[in-house]
Amino acid sequence: MTTVEDVQDRTAAADIAVTIVDTDVHPLPVSGEVLKSYAPAEWKDKLWPTGNAVSAVPHFYDTPDSYKTNSLRVDASPPGGGVAGSDPDFAAKQLLVDAGVSIAVLEPMCDAQLPQAEDVLKATHNDWLADVWLGEANWHGRWRGAISVTAQDPVAAAREIERWAGHPYMAEVLMTPQTRGIPFGSPHFDPMYAAASRNGLPVATHLMGQTPFELIPIYPVGNPAHWHDFFASWPLLYVSHLMSLVFDGAFDRHPDLRVVFVEGGFTWALPAMWRMDRIWEQRKADLPHVRRKPSDYVREHVRFTTQPLEEVDLGEYRQYLEMMDLGDNIMFSTDYPHWSYDSPDWAIRRFPADQRERIMRGNATALYGLPATVKALPSELPGDVAV
Amino acid sequence: MTIIDANVQPHFRFNSEIRRYLSAPHKLRAIPDVEQQWYQAPGGDYRQDLYGDGYPGSDPETVAHHLFDQNGVDHAILNPLTRGNIADYLLNSRICAAVNDWLLDRWLEPDTSNRFRGTIRVNPEDVRGAVAEIERLAGHPKMVQVGVPMQSREPYGKPMFEPIWEAAAAHGLPVAVHINGGNGVDHAPTFAGHAYTYPGYAAFMPLNSFVHLATLIVEGMFGRHPDLRFVFADGGYDILTPLMWRLDTFWMSMRDQTPWVNRFPSEYLRDHVRFCSSALDGPTDESQAEQWMDFTAKADLLMYGSSYPHWSATAPDAVVAGLSDAQRDKVLWRNASDLYGVTPAEPAIQTPKSKGA
Amino acid sequence: MQRRPVCAIEDLPPGTMKLVEAGKFGVGVYNIDGSLYAIANYCSHEGAPLCLGYVRGTNEYAPEMPDQIRHVREGQIARCPWHQWEFDITTGASLADPKKKVRTYEVDVADGQVYLTA
Repeated sequence: MTTVEDVQDRTAAADIAVTIVDTDVHPLPVSGEVLKSYAPAEWKDKLWPTGNAVSAVPHFYDTPDSYKTNSLRVDASPPGGGVAGSDPDFAAKQLLVDAGVSIAVLEPMCDAQLPQAEDVLKATHNDWLADVWLGEANWHGRWRGAISVTAQDPVAAAREIERWAGHPYMAEVLMTPQTRGIPFGSPHFDPMYAAASRNGLPVATHLMGQTPFELIPIYPVGNPAHWHDFFASWPLLYVSHLMSLVFDGAFDRHPDLRVVFVEGGFTWALPAMWRMDRIWEQRKADLPHVRRKPSDYVREHVRFTTQPLEEVDLGEYRQYLEMMDLGDNIMFSTDYPHWSYDSPDWAIRRFPADQRERIMRGNATALYGLPATVKALPSELPGDVAV
Repeated sequence: MTIIDANVQPHFRFNSEIRRYLSAPHKLRAIPDVEQQWYQAPGGDYRQDLYGDGYPGSDPETVAHHLFDQNGVDHAILNPLTRGNIADYLLNSRICAAVNDWLLDRWLEPDTSNRFRGTIRVNPEDVRGAVAEIERLAGHPKMVQVGVPMQSREPYGKPMFEPIWEAAAAHGLPVAVHINGGNGVDHAPTFAGHAYTYPGYAAFMPLNSFVHLATLIVEGMFGRHPDLRFVFADGGYDILTPLMWRLDTFWMSMRDQTPWVNRFPSEYLRDHVRFCSSALDGPTDESQAEQWMDFTAKADLLMYGSSYPHWSATAPDAVVAGLSDAQRDKVLWRNASDLYGVTPAEPAIQTPKSKGA
Repeated sequence: MQRRPVCAIEDLPPGTMKLVEAGKFGVGVYNIDGSLYAIANYCSHEGAPLCLGYVRGTNEYAPEMPDQIRHVREGQIARCPWHQWEFDITTGASLADPKKKVRTYEVDVADGQVYLTA
């Protein structure tokens, strides 16, 4: 059985083929003190003001039993202590070895109320990620990271992107979709999109259920009372941003921009594309700058991660994916170590056979420029799943 | 072939006409214009060819000719718009009452051919007033549903609205949700804020029906009221499949927070939910239409609705293109007939029918 | 399948569980108020180690309560450590959808020893 110590042993580092790319994994600092150590001295008290609240950023909707789970897998706590996702070696054991993931994209989650503070907080997380996960711990080259940036100040975001562009393991830019009423197609984001495109970095976005007050999405017809229907409706945030990206011309202004919608699933994209195509056909005069069919923009510029996969009759599900024909745009993700984790073994069998390779590996490899092989961890065999 | 058009918006002839039906205290209040809209379509919301002496859709004879003669429709459900969720909720209720009285006076009572049916418009922000209005008009044989706006600051599954739905269900009246115009005090129409283009608004707005629907299920509203039915009259039902899959999937995890939900959420659809068609629905590849309708058993949920006199108004043939015979049957008349108790009958006057758009 | 000793009954008091290396993924043997049950350590959803999750009660609809909810069956429900699906330990059936089940096994006590047939 693979142990954490085994993972640290590099002596048996043979090369293995990349078979599964996981496009959504959440590392956490092992402690607030560790994270703070990466922040500029003058910002420590401002970013983490002393106070009596134990939870710095509370849930505004809670997942099952979250007082105990903290929205994490109950079996993912490192044996050496710390919260799930805080130990790179234990994460490597559970995700890379046990679950068979070859390469995983790490996406820390953080937001702050004010633009400058958020810029500093994101930079702090980037420094922490690069040091703790992408440095020594990444001797095997199987972690990638996201450059977190503030959506509130796209010029500052562009600076942060330039600071990290060229880092061997930073694979994408990461921004919140909870953008205080500014949709993704707005020229407001142009400096960020330009910097990302210029450096060949996709812009990923990820929903966040623990945020400052201003980031709580107020739904157009009001908010549900439970996480259940709130979360079932959440893809409509991505639909809103997707429509804006197309109709407001972001892809025309940034022909090399690639956008990744993370942790929103993807099956909603089919009806969204149909609606966009239909309104464009019927109201072309309203959209003179949209030179192509909206669904063409989606196929070229947009990617979706798979998690959370729906629990539905397999035959019906595969029929839907075949009809959807988005096999080039979907990228597998686990959301490790969150509670709503999708296992690669289970997920791969959900997809139509002719889409599997692209979804599990090919699309992410092409998007992020990933290698064909990585270093094996001790006792790892391709496809092995330890108990 | 029988056809029921489940979604037609008749309009007042001119802006001040509503004041004939408003009670005295409100005669000098500001009321949004007939065509007032926060997001108006460039060039106008309605078919260009229908602007004449009055607003499009304001002359019963013209409307009857377009629907019954040209489109071959047998019955039309009239669902007039009100003027949005204006801040003064009591005035809003009086506007609804004025619209209802006008509908009876101008459209339903004079219709000796018995082909029009109507909607009792109510204001969900005035719960007592809404219940009273339902009680006032539910007995009228031509009023076949209650109508509320899509726009709301709280989703319709929330408990404050329950007395309204209870009253509607008690009278066997479905509740139709339809995007309204006017000057409402609303949240931004998309999840990402205001739309910057009309297409960005028009393509997204009907999808908000899912939040109303999800809360009606998860809050137990459908569970407590077996006879309650909702109609989402602006289309947007294609997104039902992926989002109901999500709602079903996470019910497995969340059941203990809302244990009154005692079955898969999608199992509530057949008994409680219907949609009207729109110009933005359906696969763009017609060859996929029949298979697509089988997902989430949409053929049992969908009713043809023209949206006449909107610029996007659709003829029956366009809506059912590519569907199987059984699906066409359900969509063109059977689902609406079952829901509204409108039985196909011989027309009162035999007129030659010429098909057109 | 074989009938295998697990432990002395004193070592499995009510409210506890022993994870036994049996079957493909292991089997959890539970003592619930003196009755013994065994379920596979494998959630029928995505294969999570079911027996590593919380053992809880569940909630049922109680319209007479102000919050319309009542907690019942404490200690009888296994919640999957991943998606928190609820499984009735005594039957192996999911509470939400009884058609979804986890595998159950026979447990018996003889001469003070707990035996699992797996």
